[in-house]
Amino acid sequence: MHKQRRLPGCRTGAVWLGGLASWLMASMVQAGEKLHDPARGWDHLWNEVLVDITVIGIVFAIIAAYFVIRYRRTSPGQQGSATGLSAAAAVAWVVIPGFVFLADDLYIAAQGWSLWNTYRDVPADRLEVTLESGMYSWDYTYANGVRTQNELIVPAGKPVMLKMHSRDTIHSHYLPDFRVKEDSMPGRVTYLWFLPKEAGKEHLVTCTEYCGVMHSYMAGKVIVKTEAEFKTWLDQETAKLGNKAKMT
Amino acid sequence: MSHNSALSHAEHHEHGGHWDYSVPPFLISFGILFLVLAFAFHFVYHSGLAAAISLGVGVPLIIAGIVGWVREAMGHGEGLSYGAMGWFILAEAMIFVSFFVSYWFMHLRAAAWPPAGTPDMPRLLPMVMTAVLVISSITIHHGEALLHKGNKAGFMNWLMVTILLGATFLGMSGYEWSHLIHEGFTPATNIYGTVFFSITGFHGSHVFVGLCIFLAALLPGFKGNISEGYVRTAGLYWHFVDIIWFFVVSQVYYW
Amino acid sequence: MNIKEWIFTTDHKRVGILYLIGSIAAFVVAGIMAGLMRAELSAIGPTVTANPTTYNVWLYAHGAIMILGFQIPALTGFFANYCIPLMIGAKDVAFPRVNALSVWLFYVGVILALLTFVIPDPPDVLWTGYPPYSTITTGNTAFYTFTVLTLGFASIIGGVNFLTTVVYMRAPGITWNKLNIFVWCILGAFVMQLIFVPVLGSAVTLISFDKYLGTHFFDPANGGDVLTYQNLFWFYSHPAVYVIFLPYIGVVFEIVATFAKNHVFNYKAAVYGGVGGIVLISGEVWIHHLYVSGMPDWLRIGQMVSTLMISVPVGLLVISLVGTLYKGAISFETPMLYALGVVFLFLIGGLTGIPLAVTALTLNLSETYYVVGHFHYVMAVAGTFAIFGGVYYWFPKMTGKMYSEFWGKTGFWVTFVGVNAVFWVMMDIGVKIGLPRRYYDYAQFPEALQSQQIMSMGAAVIAVGAAITILNWIIGAIQGPKAGNNPWGSQSFEWTTVSPPPHGNWPSPPSAAESWNPYAYGKR
Ligand code: HEA
Ligand code: HEA
Ligand code: CUA
Ligand SMILES: [Cu+2]
Repeated sequence: MHKQRRLPGCRTGAVWLGGLASWLMASMVQAGEKLHDPARGWDHLWNEVLVDITVIGIVFAIIAAYFVIRYRRTSPGQQGSATGLSAAAAVAWVVIPGFVFLADDLYIAAQGWSLWNTYRDVPADRLEVTLESGMYSWDYTYANGVRTQNELIVPAGKPVMLKMHSRDTIHSHYLPDFRVKEDSMPGRVTYLWFLPKEAGKEHLVTCTEYCGVMHSYMAGKVIVKTEAEFKTWLDQETAKLGNKAKMT
Repeated sequence: MSHNSALSHAEHHEHGGHWDYSVPPFLISFGILFLVLAFAFHFVYHSGLAAAISLGVGVPLIIAGIVGWVREAMGHGEGLSYGAMGWFILAEAMIFVSFFVSYWFMHLRAAAWPPAGTPDMPRLLPMVMTAVLVISSITIHHGEALLHKGNKAGFMNWLMVTILLGATFLGMSGYEWSHLIHEGFTPATNIYGTVFFSITGFHGSHVFVGLCIFLAALLPGFKGNISEGYVRTAGLYWHFVDIIWFFVVSQVYYW
Repeated sequence: MNIKEWIFTTDHKRVGILYLIGSIAAFVVAGIMAGLMRAELSAIGPTVTANPTTYNVWLYAHGAIMILGFQIPALTGFFANYCIPLMIGAKDVAFPRVNALSVWLFYVGVILALLTFVIPDPPDVLWTGYPPYSTITTGNTAFYTFTVLTLGFASIIGGVNFLTTVVYMRAPGITWNKLNIFVWCILGAFVMQLIFVPVLGSAVTLISFDKYLGTHFFDPANGGDVLTYQNLFWFYSHPAVYVIFLPYIGVVFEIVATFAKNHVFNYKAAVYGGVGGIVLISGEVWIHHLYVSGMPDWLRIGQMVSTLMISVPVGLLVISLVGTLYKGAISFETPMLYALGVVFLFLIGGLTGIPLAVTALTLNLSETYYVVGHFHYVMAVAGTFAIFGGVYYWFPKMTGKMYSEFWGKTGFWVTFVGVNAVFWVMMDIGVKIGLPRRYYDYAQFPEALQSQQIMSMGAAVIAVGAAITILNWIIGAIQGPKAGNNPWGSQSFEWTTVSPPPHGNWPSPPSAAESWNPYAYGKR
C-alpha cells in the first residue's frame, strides 16, 4: 500500500549515490513491512538511531581521548610532530569520511521516510473525530455531532483520526503513549492518527505548543473502551443530543 | 583592565597615549532607545504625554548624533564604504525579500484578489512615481560623473535636483496614502491594505533614509567639503532603492 | 584612566571588551532566570511564584537574553572585535565609529531586555514569539520586537564592518589560505547574519504591526496565515544556531592548535568543506523546527534529508579538530580543558540532533525536554564552554596579566559536573515520558519529579562553577601576575604584539613573513 509513495525517495537516493540505492531500498521495504502501528515503529526506529549515534559518538570520543592521553606534552618547549597531508591524502580525508557520513544519513533518512509514511497514511477503516482546541480545552466532536471536552472516548483496535483546528492560539495535541503530536491552529486544518489497542486503558493528552498562561494545565485523556462499550456510550450520547434538540 | 600599561606601550605611538573616541554613536544608540520607549508608551501603555517626552529626548539625540558624526567623519573614510554598502544592501534586500515572500504567499492562497473592500487603486500615479524615481537615479549618476571630473558646482546642482525628485516622490506617496485613508482604506481594512501600506511604507522609509544620506552630503558640500567615496556609496544606495521600487510597483500595484 | 576614552571608544579592543562585559552581565542575569525556573520546577505545584505568567516571563528573558544578549554578542561581538584585527594585522576595523554604534545598540537591546523585569505587562511570548499568541497577549510584545531589532541591527552593521575589514585590511603576507580558522568562521557567521537576520527582523516587525497597527499578516480571519511567521522566524533562527556554532568552534580550533602545538589537520577541508558547507546548507533546513506544525508533508520530508546532511560538513570540522590532536604535544591549561570539554559536549549535543532531524521521530520528541536537552548541550553548554575557554585563552593578551590556573581548573570541573547532571537528565526525561517544555507545572507527569530535582541541584552546581570562573577573571584582571606577550607560545599573529596591545595595535603597520602561518608548529 505504501510502495507507490516510497519510490520517489528511492530515486532521489539513487541519483545521489547510485551504488547505495539497492541497499537502501532493501532496508526500507524490510522496515516498512514490520511497522503498522506508528507507535511501535517509533520505538523501533528510536532504538536503531540511538545505537547509530551512540556508536559514532563513542568512536570519536575514544579516538579523541586516546590522542589526548597518547600525545601529552612530556617536556616543556616540545612541539607537535604531525607532518602536513599530501594533496591526495587531503582529498581522501574529505571524500571517504564524507561518503560514510552521507551513507549513514541517507540510511537514517530512508528509515525515517518509511516510518513517516505510516504516520501520515491513515488506514481507511477509521474513526474520525474533529478537534477544536482553545484556551484551554480540547473539544472533540464525533461525526454524528456528539461532543466531549478533554476526554476522547474511543474503541479499542480501531485507528482514530483527529481533524484539528484551533479557535485562538496554536496548541499541539500530544499523546505521549502513542508517540505522536501535531499542532492545531486557526485558519488551517491538520490531522494526526493513532491506534488505541487495549480497552480499559487511559492515555494522557497534553499540550505541547505554548498557548498562553495555562499552557501546562491543558491536559486531557484518551479513554479506550471495548467496541461494544463504545457503541453503547455513543448511542447514549446521541440519544441525549436528540433529546436536547427536541427540547429546544 | 590596566590602562596604565597600555598607556606606557602607546607612548611611542602616534596618538601619544590617547585613544580615539567618538560620542555620536553613543548618542544615536540611546536616541533609538528613547524612540522605542516612545512607541511603547504610545501603543502599549497609552500614555501620550510620556510618549511625547520620550520622543522629545530621542529625536534630538539622534539628530545631534548624526550631525556630529557627519562633522567628524565626512572626508576621513578609508574609502571602503562602497564595498561595505554592497554587504549592507544584501541585508536590506533580504528584508524586502521576506516582505514579498509573505505577500506572495497570502496572495496565492487568497480566494480572490484584490480582496473585498479594496477601493480602486490609482493607475497613473504609480507610473509617474516610477518615472520620477528613475530620473532621480539618472541625475545622481550624472552628478557623480561630474564630481569625478572635478566639477564640484555641477555636482551640487544635480544633487539638489535629485533631492528634489526624491522629495517629490515622497510627496506623491504621501498624497496617495492620505487619499486612500480618507476613503477608509487602511492597513486594517483587509489583507491587501496590510500589504500595500507595509510594503510601500517600508520602501518609502528607505527613500527617506536615502534623502537624509544625500542631505548629509549636501550641507557640508556648500562649504566645499565633498567626499567622493561617500557620494558614490550614497548613490549606490539610491540605485538600490530605485530597483526595489520596480518590484513594489509591479507586485503591489499591478498584480 | 580616562573614562571618556572608554565609554565613547572606537578602538576595536575596547569595543570588544565592552561587548564582553555586557554579554557576561547578560549571561549572569539570564542564568539567574534559569535558577528561578529550576527552583520553580523543583516541586509540583507553585513553589517560587504562584503566577504562571511570571514563570513565562523568566523563560522569555532566559531564552532571548542567553541567545541574543549573551552568546551571539560574546562570539560575534567580543571575540570578533578583539581578535580579528589582531589576527589579520590590521590597526583597527574598517569603520571604527560604526563599531561603536554597534556596541551601544547592543547595550540598548540588552537594556530593553532587562526592562522586562520592571515594566508592567512584560513580554511573555517566549523567545520564539509565535502569533497568534504574541498578537493577542496583554504582554508587551513591542519590547520583544525592539529587543530583537536593535540587537539584530547591531549585528548587521557589525557584519558589514567585519566582512569589509577582513576583505580589505589584511596585512601583507596574511593571505586567504593563511587566515586563522576562527577568522573563516567569523566570516561564515557574518555572511549568514547578513542574509538571515533581516528576515527575523521582518518577522518580529510584522507581529508588532499586527498587534499595534492593525495589519493582518498572521490573522487567518482576514486572509493572513500564522505559519508565515514560523517560516520567517526559523528561516533565521536555524542559521542562527550556526552563527553561534561556527565562531565557538573557531575559538576551539585556535585553542586546540596552540595547546597541542600542532598545525590544523586538513585545514582546507575544515575551511571550504566545513565552514563553507555549513553556510551553504544552513538556509534550507529550517523546516525541521516545523515538523509538527502542519506544514505540507512534502516540505517536511524534503528538509529532513538536508538536515541530516549537515552532519557531513560538521563531521569534517570534527575530524580536523580531533586530527589536530594527533601527534601533538598537548598541555592542559584551563583554556585547553574547556576546548577539550567542548569536543565531547558538542559530540553529545550534535549527535542528539540527529534523531530530531528524522521527521517521524520528531513527532514524539518535538517540544519535549529532549529538545531542550539537545540544544543546551550543543549551544548553551558547548557554546558557553568555548566562550569561557576563549576568554581564558586571550585573557593574558587582553590584560597583560595571568588568571589563577587553580581556580580556572576548579571552575571548569565544577561546571562540567553540573551541566551533565542537568542536561543529560533532561534529555532522558524527555524521551522516557515525553515531558513537555515550557511547562510552569507538571501535575500530569508526577514521575518527572525526581529528575526535576536532580536538574535543579545540578543548576546550583553550575552557578557555583560559573561564579568561580567570573570571579577568577575579575580578580586576575585586577591583581594577576604579569603574563608576558606570548605566554602560550602561540604562532598566531595576535601574539606578535605586546600585551595588552596599544591603540593602533602595532607601532607601525606589520607584515607577515613568507614562512609565517598561524599554525606553524614543529618542523614542517
Ligand atoms: C549552537 C546551536 C545548535 C547547533 C549547532 C545545532 C545542531 C543541530 N541541530 Fe539543533 N537546535 C538548537 C541549537 C543547535 N542545534 C536550538 C536552540 C534548538 C531549539 C530551538 C527552540 O525550539 O527553542 C534546536 C532544535 C533542533 C531541532 C528541532 C526540534 C524540535 O523543536 O522539534 C532539530 C531537528 O532537526 C535540530 C537538529 C539539529 C541537527 C541535525 C544539528 C546538526 O548541526 C548537528 C551536527 C553534528 C553532529 C552530527 C555531530 C558531529 C558529526 C560527526 C561526528 C559526523 C558523523 C555523524 C553522522 C554521520 C550522524 N535541532
Ligand atoms: C546560550 C543559551 C543558553 C544557556 C547558556 C542556558 C543555560 C541554562 N539553561 Fe536554558 N534555555 C535556553 C538557552 C540557554 N540556556 C533557551 C533558548 C531556552 C528555550 C526558551 C524558550 O523555551 O523559549 C532555554 C530553556 C531552558 C529551560 C526550559 C524551561 C521550560 O521549557 O520550561 C531550562 C530548564 O531547566 C533551562 C535551564 C538552564 C540552566 C539551568 C542553565 C545554566 O547553564 C545556567 C547557568 C548560569 C548561571 C546559573 C549564572 C551563574 C552566574 C553567577 C551566579 C555569577 C555570580 C556573579 C558574579 C560572581 C559576578 N533553560
Ligand atoms: Cu494549549 Cu499549550
Ligand atoms: Cu535548527
